[in-house]
Amino acid sequence: MSDTDIIEQLKQGSELAFKKLVDTHQKLVVNTCYGLVQNREDAEDIAQDVFVEVYRNIDKFRADAKLSTWLYRIAVNRSLNHIRDNKKHKWFHSFEDEVAAKNKAVMQVSTANSDEPEYDFENKQRAIILKEAINSLPQNQKVAFTLSKYEELSYEEIAQVMDLSVSSVESLLFRAKKGLQKKLYKCYKKKCM
Amino acid sequence: MKCNKVHNKLIFFLEKELSVSEMEQVQKHLNECSECALFAAEMKNTLRILDSDKVTDENPFFFTRVKARLEKQSQEEPVARPVLIRILQPVAFSIILLLGIYGGFKLGQTPKVAITDSSLSEQEMVPYWNELQDEPIESFLME
Repeated sequence: MSDTDIIEQLKQGSELAFKKLVDTHQKLVVNTCYGLVQNREDAEDIAQDVFVEVYRNIDKFRADAKLSTWLYRIAVNRSLNHIRDNKKHKWFHSFEDEVAAKNKAVMQVSTANSDEPEYDFENKQRAIILKEAINSLPQNQKVAFTLSKYEELSYEEIAQVMDLSVSSVESLLFRAKKGLQKKLYKCYKKKCM
Repeated sequence: MKCNKVHNKLIFFLEKELSVSEMEQVQKHLNECSECALFAAEMKNTLRILDSDKVTDENPFFFTRVKARLEKQSQEEPVARPVLIRILQPVAFSIILLLGIYGGFKLGQTPKVAITDSSLSEQEMVPYWNELQDEPIESFLME
């Protein structure tokens, strides 16, 4: 069943078509949300809302548009709303402070489980540093970077999802990588990685 | 190529997004500079995490949860309120608010003391408001 068939049947209220849509695109939506919110439970929760929104607004979907682009857009918007709603007052916390705090948490977990191999611990630390560095990027750069790295979308596809020109996406990704590199180097110098 | 220049290009080097000549220059520097090579290795290991940090498995109960959420939301949808209630409710709240403000003003006003010639009424009222006028502190201390 193609996307067009699914949409047509869904417009007629077919539950089977909705199940097909959810099953086919579940990974795409959850992964996009996960790339932005960095938490599996939250990502699944947001993804469920995404599909509910799709079900409710299927009549508004334009036939000439691509279903996956629409899904990416809703997933990105919902994830950004979630991040904004959950944003705590972190204005006075620097990137290094946050990394240090997370490292401390990892250290506590690691000490409790002494069987954990050392390389696993190092990778966990690296993952925390990387996630914090991605999270500290400006919103547009973060979205472009996530779509590029987590969903492996091309510049053209990212441009469609974000409603930008391809050159803008190129610029966003260039600045995102530069920013990430700068943050990782700063952290490396301060021995937090 | 200097170290700081290599640091600026390292992420693009690791992603193979540099021109052939730049790739060669960075590689040459990394072969010679151990400090930059260490950072490059660390950066490579860190960025590699992105390849594995993805949701690969599907939740078998995902559709059931979406359906449950959909049903829950349709049950919770508020029933459209009649027009009369939509108009009457703000009007009633406005009246209550105005009455409250009026009542507040009334309560806040000091009671007017009726000025009469009779000394009795003055004696009755004045001590209530200001005892010092009738019994100055000096005379009280003198006694």
